[in-house]
Amino acid sequence: MLRHVLYSVRHRTSYRYGRPVDLGVHLLHLSPRTLPSQRVLRADLVPTPAPDRVEQGTDTFGNAVTWMFLEAPHAAFEVRLEAVVEVRPRAAPPPAATLGWRDVAAIARERPEWHATAEFLFDSPMVAVAPEITAYAALSFGDGRSVIAGLLDLNSRIRRDFAFRPGSTTLSSTPRTVFAQRSGVCQDFAHLMIAGLRGIGLPARYVSGYVRTYPAPGQPRRRGADQSHAWVGAWMGPEHGWIDLDPTNDLIVADEHVTLGWGRDYGDVSPVRGVILGGGAHSVEAAVDLEPLAADASSIPAVGH
Amino acid sequence: MAVTEGRDELIDDDGRLRGPWRRMLGSLLGMGTAALGERLTELDRAFAADSAVSVLARADHGQWHCDPIPYLFAESEFTPIAAGLAQRARVLEAALRDLYGPRKLLADGIVPAEGVYADPSYLRICRTPDAADQSPHLQLYAADLMRAPDGRWHVLSDWVGEPTGLAHVLENRLMMARVLPELFRSVEASPVRPFFDLWSDALQRLAPDGAGNPGLALLTPGHADPRWFEHVVLARELGCTLVEDGDLTVRDGALWLKTLRGLQPVHVLLRRTRGRSLDPLELHGETERGVPGLLCAMRNGTVRVVNSPGAALAEAPGIFAALPAIAEHLFGEPLLLPSAPSPHPPPSYIPCVGTGDTLEPRPVILRLFLLFDGSAWRPLRGGLARIVEAADNDDGGLPVQGLAKDVWVIVEDEGDIVGPPNLAMPALPIRRLAGDLPSRVADNFYWLGRYLERLDTAARLTRAMVARLARTPLLPRDLPEMRTLAGCLSDAGVIHAEVATSGETILADALWRAVSRGDGPYARAEKHLAALTDTLRDRLTGEMHAACVDGLAGLAANRKRLRTARPAGAIGLIGEMARQALQFSALVAGYTAENMVRGGGRLFLDLGRRIERAQAVAAQLARALDQPPERLVTGLQLALELCDSVLTYRGRYLTVLQPAPVLDLVVADDGNPRGLGYQLVTARAVLGILSGGENIGIAHALDPAIAETRTIVSDLLADDGDAAAADLPRRLRAIETQLVALSDAVVRQYFALVPVRWTDVPS
Repeated sequence: MLRHVLYSVRHRTSYRYGRPVDLGVHLLHLSPRTLPSQRVLRADLVPTPAPDRVEQGTDTFGNAVTWMFLEAPHAAFEVRLEAVVEVRPRAAPPPAATLGWRDVAAIARERPEWHATAEFLFDSPMVAVAPEITAYAALSFGDGRSVIAGLLDLNSRIRRDFAFRPGSTTLSSTPRTVFAQRSGVCQDFAHLMIAGLRGIGLPARYVSGYVRTYPAPGQPRRRGADQSHAWVGAWMGPEHGWIDLDPTNDLIVADEHVTLGWGRDYGDVSPVRGVILGGGAHSVEAAVDLEPLAADASSIPAVGH
Repeated sequence: MAVTEGRDELIDDDGRLRGPWRRMLGSLLGMGTAALGERLTELDRAFAADSAVSVLARADHGQWHCDPIPYLFAESEFTPIAAGLAQRARVLEAALRDLYGPRKLLADGIVPAEGVYADPSYLRICRTPDAADQSPHLQLYAADLMRAPDGRWHVLSDWVGEPTGLAHVLENRLMMARVLPELFRSVEASPVRPFFDLWSDALQRLAPDGAGNPGLALLTPGHADPRWFEHVVLARELGCTLVEDGDLTVRDGALWLKTLRGLQPVHVLLRRTRGRSLDPLELHGETERGVPGLLCAMRNGTVRVVNSPGAALAEAPGIFAALPAIAEHLFGEPLLLPSAPSPHPPPSYIPCVGTGDTLEPRPVILRLFLLFDGSAWRPLRGGLARIVEAADNDDGGLPVQGLAKDVWVIVEDEGDIVGPPNLAMPALPIRRLAGDLPSRVADNFYWLGRYLERLDTAARLTRAMVARLARTPLLPRDLPEMRTLAGCLSDAGVIHAEVATSGETILADALWRAVSRGDGPYARAEKHLAALTDTLRDRLTGEMHAACVDGLAGLAANRKRLRTARPAGAIGLIGEMARQALQFSALVAGYTAENMVRGGGRLFLDLGRRIERAQAVAAQLARALDQPPERLVTGLQLALELCDSVLTYRGRYLTVLQPAPVLDLVVADDGNPRGLGYQLVTARAVLGILSGGENIGIAHALDPAIAETRTIVSDLLADDGDAAAADLPRRLRAIETQLVALSDAVVRQYFALVPVRWTDVPS
């Protein structure tokens, strides 16, 4: 019934510098993560020009990290991810099977063996708990409600109550700003939902990756028209663990998302970040292409980022 | 301050005078309180004159005073405290190793998750779940302690981030020994110096294997930091190069110091900046500071950083509160020295020399230091005692001012062990002292030279103009000369270009504003000089630094006086200000010539002066000689005056003015210190030394200009000398343009670039 979907992922990030850069150091969270629900068949990072030094590592959350050092003058830098990933559909547990949300919060708070989960309970640099967002989230979590029911309700409400409006926020917009203006993009909605869940004491993390998009009827697929995407991982307790929810599209993450990695917020897993020496003004361009290679499901309605 | 509830430091549990005080008190009483008051004054004076703490501390920061009565420990009292602190340091090291590794303390519920994960000092990017690298997190540990009314010692705070106070320890001991030698005769105080030797050795041994002559550097936030003087003192004591972020770069997976001689490896970095400011690539969201890639270089094992970037976690409240449980869990040991409860009991009190020659009991807390030498924690047998002030911040950090006491550990008899037994240590290689001048320092010296010369040029031109403005009646040639001078003054930024063509009254008024206004060109140049002098205060001799600071303060004071002087705008007062600026410039030039070693910074100071003066002379001569043929003689006369060469010319040629001999003297003759040729040849010599025969290009960049100065004279002597004379302004301006390009090349070649951070934009 639930079939694996094979995706080709292409993500190109290009920088052009006003003047040659003498030294460029780049930190990449750009390798799809191997998961029970995701098999990485191939993942190549292709930088141009070739860096003088490339290092690999793993961060505290288990994400693969790549460092690239360019130590000779260069006027541009580009890095491409070329990957083939098999996604296995996940399903949400039935509400009756999950714990009440208060029990989940209590376990995360009080049981030391779950401390690594509790790491996602606290404020992080880009997500601070705020009373108005906590109050908003709390409306989905009535007394005795199962955690999954509350999570799905909040996921839907964010999709309903907030407008997807590119350009209405910046990288540094806080969840409070997004909450006040009721609009934003995927990253803002993820941060907002995380703030709400942490506010009521539920562990929540930021997931970075890609989502499948569908062309308008009668239009061909446009290459490179996709973008990086972000959604929310929420904890349902020891038995059911984490569930991924996409508040931008009111979706339970199943077989249309490819996961790169996760952290407390965007800052922990930004796909490409760098420091350059010299360079003057610079411009950046990103192009993402997520293309299903196997089963096609064209009947699913279009989703945004 | 009421001290009745605190314990008296002089009395033991049985109400008797504590052992170490018996002999000391005799000496103190023998001196008498009046004499102690005098020694306090003497100590203050000694600190003001000679201590790095006073000389290097910024004027806007307060000062520490040292009380003449030391804090005394008997050996038998100190040993258990040192053992207790060593235990705490060991426990903290183990806690950091666990929290930045397997996190058993969290999984076992010993440390609550919030105490780590919610604390900003936890640098999760530094966590290595299964790290092979076992280099220590902590090398230096400090603790603040107090003695409770029941006589027990309590730790108020553990300091492992960037513990401060060691410069005070060194200097207090130095000044005490100088001002109160008789106290040292009454009891034998353990020396503090061995601790620093041990530290220096430990730093060298920390270097990764294979670093034969390890490069050691001390990273400071810079001269604006309130603890900068301590960084200077420690760098000197420990044989580290004092560096800032911009001096360092990561290449080929290793850390390097940018020096004039190219990149030099850094194997051990003693960090005095906040851990989370170390690497802007990975520790984002905090500051733009740091060295991109430094954490990567650390992971590669090519450089060791102490204390580790994430060490400050051990100062977090969650760790402090859990420390007894951590000690029990990891080592099965109870803490020998407990943490102070909150709120803490009143600290003990100790006599201090007060005002009016009285002794006042005042509450005291101690800061003690320990060092990990690779195998064990070794105490500093001394420390910093400080008097608790009501106004002290609650964060427990060392305030920027206060009253300190030197801490003495008394050697009780010959049988006592004075220090840890000497370790069998491999022979150490020759220590690399701070020999390589960081590019940033060179940059500052270069601009110090340029601004000194800029002020000098402005003052010379002002003086020449004032001489004419004061003349009544004017000589026939005065008017065109004033026009030329006004042009030069506008080139030099002293007056605005539109004023330069105005009459005498307006010119005088513009000059008055230039010298007297707080935002005028004179004041601006002086501000630049003051800032550069401040930045370079660890690189200038005390005398030269004082001469600069005092000289600049004098100029500022005169300007203030000038603004209220009558009659306002008087020509004489303008001349007076210019004269004083010239005096200042000459004084600094004298100190440079007589006191500064010719190398490193001095070379860049010289280079800055020469390039600045060469540009100024070329520009001024171009204006002076830009005359119709009938007025050329007037131009030549002014050219000689501007180059201070009238007397020399008369000596050579009497009173006949001709273009070729004049230009020979002011342009080609490289023996005339105010002529163009001298500046060019001297600058080329400096560049030759700097390039060390390697970067020949920049050393020869001046050759065309030097050749041109000689061709100019030979062209004037040729048949079409008149045409050559008419072409002089253009040729001089061309030389000026070459100098501007050279200055750019020097800046690119030798001085540090500043990193810029960027990030991608998500959807």
